[in-house]
Amino acid sequence: MLSVIVLVLSGCSDFLVREPKLSQSNELTLSTYTGLNSAVAGAYSYISATGWYGQSWIIDADMRSGNGVKDKVRDSNRCAQGYNWNYTPDNTSEIWASAYVLTSAVNNVIDNLEGKEDGDVTKQDLDNLKAESLFLRAFAHFHCVLTYAQPYTYDKTSLGVPVVLHTDPKGKPARETVEKVYGQIVADLLEAESIIDPEYVRKGGADEKSYASIDVIRAFLSRVYLYMGEWQNAANYATKVIDSGNYTMWTPADYPTVWGKEIAGDGGEVIFEVYGKITNSTWGSWEDLSYLTKPDGSGDPMVSKDLLALYDAADVRYTAGFRTTTTNNESGRLWTNKYPGKGDAEERDCNNVIVLRLSEMYLTRAEAILNGAAVEGVTKEADINIVRTNRNIAAIGSVTAKDIRDERRRELAWEGHYIYDLARWNTAVTRTDFTLGSMNQNVPFPDYRWALPIPQRELNVNPNLEQNEGYSKN
Amino acid sequence: MFFFTAAVLLLTAGQVSAQNILVTGTISDASNGEPVPYASIQVKGTMTGASADADGNYEVTVSPQGTLIFSFVGYETKEIKVDGRLHINCELKVDATALDDVIVVAYGTVSREANTGAVSTLKSEGLAESPATSVDKMLSGKMAGVQITSGSGQPGSTSTIRIRGTSSINAGSEPLWVIDGIPVAPGDFRQFSNAGVGGGSSTTFLNPNDIESITILKDAAAASVYGSRAANGVILVTTKTGKKGASKFTARAKYGVQQLINDRNIHPLTGSELIDYRRTAAINAGFNPDDPSSQYYFTEKLLSNGTTDWYKELTRQGSVQEYEVNASGGTEKASYYSSIAYHKNTGVFHGVDYSRFTARVNADMQLTRTLKSGVRVNFSYGDSNSGQMGDLYYSNPTVAMWTINPWTPFRNDDGSYNTSIPENSNTNPRAVAEYDTYNDKEYRAQANLYLEWKPIPQLTLKTTDGFEADILDSKQYWDPRSNKGASTLFKIWSKDLRYTTSNTITYADKYAGAHDLRITVGQEAMLDTYDYLYGYSPDVDPMMPYPNTSTAEKDEVQYGISDESMLSFFGIADYNYMNRYFFQASVRADGSSVFGQESRWGVFWSVGGSWNISSESWMKSSSYWLDILKIRASYGVNGNNNIVPYKAYGVYSTTQYNGTVGMTPSSPANPNLAWEKNKTWNAGVDFGFFNHRLNGSIDYYNRLTDDMLLSKSVPYTTGFGSNFMNVGSVRNRGVEIMLDGDIIRTGDWTWNVGFNISFNRSKVLDLGDSEYLELADSRLSTSSSNRGTPVRIVEGKSMYTFYLRDWYGVNPSTGAGLWWTEEGKLTSDRSKARYVYCGSPEPKATGGFNTTVSWKGLSLSAYFEFVTGNKAMETNQYIDDGYSMNSNTSNVALNYWKKPGDTGVTPKPVAGNSGMYHVSYSTRFLKKGDYMRIKDITLSYSLPYKALQKIRMKGLKLYVSALNPYTFHDLNVLDPEVGSLGYTMGATHSMVKSFIGGIEVSF
Repeated sequence: MLSVIVLVLSGCSDFLVREPKLSQSNELTLSTYTGLNSAVAGAYSYISATGWYGQSWIIDADMRSGNGVKDKVRDSNRCAQGYNWNYTPDNTSEIWASAYVLTSAVNNVIDNLEGKEDGDVTKQDLDNLKAESLFLRAFAHFHCVLTYAQPYTYDKTSLGVPVVLHTDPKGKPARETVEKVYGQIVADLLEAESIIDPEYVRKGGADEKSYASIDVIRAFLSRVYLYMGEWQNAANYATKVIDSGNYTMWTPADYPTVWGKEIAGDGGEVIFEVYGKITNSTWGSWEDLSYLTKPDGSGDPMVSKDLLALYDAADVRYTAGFRTTTTNNESGRLWTNKYPGKGDAEERDCNNVIVLRLSEMYLTRAEAILNGAAVEGVTKEADINIVRTNRNIAAIGSVTAKDIRDERRRELAWEGHYIYDLARWNTAVTRTDFTLGSMNQNVPFPDYRWALPIPQRELNVNPNLEQNEGYSKN
Repeated sequence: MFFFTAAVLLLTAGQVSAQNILVTGTISDASNGEPVPYASIQVKGTMTGASADADGNYEVTVSPQGTLIFSFVGYETKEIKVDGRLHINCELKVDATALDDVIVVAYGTVSREANTGAVSTLKSEGLAESPATSVDKMLSGKMAGVQITSGSGQPGSTSTIRIRGTSSINAGSEPLWVIDGIPVAPGDFRQFSNAGVGGGSSTTFLNPNDIESITILKDAAAASVYGSRAANGVILVTTKTGKKGASKFTARAKYGVQQLINDRNIHPLTGSELIDYRRTAAINAGFNPDDPSSQYYFTEKLLSNGTTDWYKELTRQGSVQEYEVNASGGTEKASYYSSIAYHKNTGVFHGVDYSRFTARVNADMQLTRTLKSGVRVNFSYGDSNSGQMGDLYYSNPTVAMWTINPWTPFRNDDGSYNTSIPENSNTNPRAVAEYDTYNDKEYRAQANLYLEWKPIPQLTLKTTDGFEADILDSKQYWDPRSNKGASTLFKIWSKDLRYTTSNTITYADKYAGAHDLRITVGQEAMLDTYDYLYGYSPDVDPMMPYPNTSTAEKDEVQYGISDESMLSFFGIADYNYMNRYFFQASVRADGSSVFGQESRWGVFWSVGGSWNISSESWMKSSSYWLDILKIRASYGVNGNNNIVPYKAYGVYSTTQYNGTVGMTPSSPANPNLAWEKNKTWNAGVDFGFFNHRLNGSIDYYNRLTDDMLLSKSVPYTTGFGSNFMNVGSVRNRGVEIMLDGDIIRTGDWTWNVGFNISFNRSKVLDLGDSEYLELADSRLSTSSSNRGTPVRIVEGKSMYTFYLRDWYGVNPSTGAGLWWTEEGKLTSDRSKARYVYCGSPEPKATGGFNTTVSWKGLSLSAYFEFVTGNKAMETNQYIDDGYSMNSNTSNVALNYWKKPGDTGVTPKPVAGNSGMYHVSYSTRFLKKGDYMRIKDITLSYSLPYKALQKIRMKGLKLYVSALNPYTFHDLNVLDPEVGSLGYTMGATHSMVKSFIGGIEVSF
């Protein structure tokens, strides 16, 4: 028996190691290129969550800005929080959790890439993973700072959000200034741009346009510079994307067919989109953007008359961009047609959500030029008219700031832009169509409400965080 | 050891002198006349002796003037003078003290005298007649400090067992079950039949009649040898073994009926009662109930098509039946016990039943003079069916019987079940019970084998190796006829395999006649793997309801697998001096795979001592009234490792996105995750007076749980929202008293009375960074935001505390409900009502008493159980003060305010009542939960052995028994046993009472 004990003792270190079978330990995942590669593939999934591009990011933005309206035709009590700007520390945007969980996931990758070259795995392979991770980290911080802080163009010294560059289980980071957060976002994107293989795009997924590439990084840099009011940089990066030749404007004939596609495919306007599918682990089922904006689905977010009034009758964005319900609809309400569903399921469906596309690049460049940027051979009028003529409305001779703003609102409505455009323009929200609204019909600028409250549960567990002005500080 | 002595005696039996005579005779049991096989006979003052045969017959050669000493284990030794007789029959009396003398403890047995820890024991006689289904149900109320709560009266369901209070929030509070030396797999594997609702471990695989004894190890000294699994106490079950003697066959049969416990006669309103109530509500709201255009038009015309008593239609008389045959016997070298049994319990609700088949073989063999081996094999097959019990859903009859209107017909004209029941979402629970399936078939086998070697009398080496398998085959099926939509099939197969090896070396010796020493060292290892396959097939063909008929795109399959291992080394030392001073110490090192690599090994230990004052020489003078007086004290540290595997690992798990599979972090690493620690001290006294007419014990304990495992919120900037950590602390302390007295103990008459009571007080000392935790109830609702329960775990209060809206009562002048506000004012606005902490569902005292009167073979016994000082919620009465005007209610609602000045009433009913006084979780429904239950009354008659001998039988016993015949309580619910959280979780099968008759024949 003694020998049995000795035998067992010698083997006991292995006997007591029982690793999970259906998940993989941190050490194992982060120790090989294969593991790191699938960790990056997994990290993209966070942005498709219902609390982000799977629904809330788009809905909250458009309901807050006045593009959306609620009406009793379809009222399942959804979408009211954004519509009424009814945010409290206990009930605020969920972006915080998703953004920082994503940040941690990619930080794990960035911090474990060193020395993982092996056989076929080259330094460039590792750099590509790093570039994707840096892009996602910038993406997360950007959405977070837009949500919880005042716009950069209003007060860049005000409190932004924590900048998290390494996963620390004991970390209790404080909020950095808006300027510092943007500084890190730009730094991450510039590094990503410099190290990514210009030909690289992740393989293995259904939709290559749901992964970072050099064009995606540059288009996103253009967006970030625009939000900072760095006009020349915004114009330069828009130009790089436009000149890449990889994208073409949708024609009026294309326009009705581009929404609800399985994948964007080559050409066309889409630079980066979030892939939607009922097989995604994050699929929101009845809460998915597609079902929510479906006139015969829950249908709570409808298109406001304020937005509809901006379109010409011939505008393809008007004729093909909206839809109505099949049932009795005395109110004449319309719903956005940008998320018609892929036809994967009869009731609950799914849709890709476009994040960056070519027309945004033209609009950004036009706005930059209006604000003093210069790009050889390009005028703001030419850029605006590329968009207008492809939407079946007349070209215009001279372009004012209002023209650009209205065009941007018309073009990017229901893609989550307008509220953040208003914020960076330091412009109030004015709503005349405010059916079923209960508070905050018009929100002046400046106002504390432009920065949503930090989640109370974060303040409870992290004493270094400070709540935004205007919200109760329990 | 006995065999050895017997052999020596036999060898020397030939050396006798010629003038001696040969005496023959039979040795029998004085209580029933049964022969005592293999008893030993010794000639006093010599080495001469003999041994009786299997039928108790003996012969011995002895001097005519000699004296014979008859002895056998478990009997009082008797001396008889030969006086020249050639035939001497001897009746041996059962040694009452000896029977209890030896108790099974961790890794061995110990004499009651030498025991230093707090243990409770129960012998088989206390178990066999009980009409309960499973072992756990039988222990209820019988042992101090052991609280057993049934979550449900559903046949085959589990119970919650708490030994000395609840000590853990996340790591489980159920005791460890050890059967014949092998710890069994905890929990209940069943999936769809809702039978695991009690929350405790399943013991339904055990045939209660196979059990010889149960010992409950309560304090650290007794339990700490089980180390990281000992924190909630240990239940040691020893099954029966064969005894030497001719084979004995016993057949048992019992049959009984069951009905719902409803001793306060709560019932749904009859048609005219409900109409009357609705009319009052309509009038109170300013409507005319006689106006056909009114939405509240209620007249007796509604009853013109007859009414249905839904309580009656949805329940039935349940039944219990059980049949068993067992055989046991043995020779000098080998013995066996085997049994097969069938048990079936048909529930009081339609579609609910449980049946079980068990088979056991226990065999022991003396291989050589020093080597012994044996097996314990048990197989069980359990088949559990339920309608949709447990869920708060329309198809659950415990809900529907209170809510369906009495004028709603039960059947259609063509005899089929009416499913046009708008007030119950068009669901008829009888149709669900008939057509739908909620079934678990569980196959469970346990086998263990031991080999014991005694090279010298002082040294025993033993290895026990066990294997346990649980295979589950579960099915849930929704038939279109039950009106739940398309036919849908759910299927689960699961498998749990567990291997355990337990090896000990024991050295026991006595030195200089005064120093007793026993040392055991041992090693144990366990490996458990569990996996399951789950399939979901919507839209199967009702004619062929298998996954094959559902389209492949719609089928969903899930798979899960986990494993767990444990390795332990332990030692126990016992020492006593002159049977006066006893010391015991144990130490155990456990390594467990579920904890972090930094804290994988834990060391647990205990020390205990006792002083047998009555054995002191200076106490001799009191020995005529004092049999035993012993004081005990112990302290120890043990652990609780009862958490799901892999919590310590930082892991990535797969996630699907963009048509491919990636990895995302799914839980944070916690390399320091360790067991919860229990530090317990115990002090007690055991006493026996007047020749064991009055025995008892008193214990005081203090049990501190430290490093409690809690999920702690962490900033999302760490990558996670919460992490599982060792942070909390809880204390349980209390007193337990057990008394047992023989009031009458004459020849034919005995009258015994027993009493036990325990007082436990719990206090939450530390919850980490939370002031309180909310308990979630997965049965309440499918939406995650709506799973709050009325119970919180609050720092500085009892383990569980009710947290409710503060109800004042009914305004005596208006009949409206009133609440207390935060400012201490009264309001009828529910939203202004304050929330208060208002008592605990934990009883201040629990206990039981029992009495047995017997005269010759006739015996009447009764068990009572009581719980006092607890608060309980009256849920599931479906009272809404007129709010919905759409469903029935119970007669409790009729005690409403009728005229100014009425007090102690419910609010007056108002149609569409906007007061929302009924909405759950206010102090309106919180009451004192005290109750006393007549747990069991049994009348039995055993025919005398002498009468049976003529018909070649060894025993015949008849009995009738009533389980839970009556319960005294003040709650407006069917039964006051509402679970350890003080309210009924969801809506489970209500508790039942049973009346049973049985017969037991042996030959």
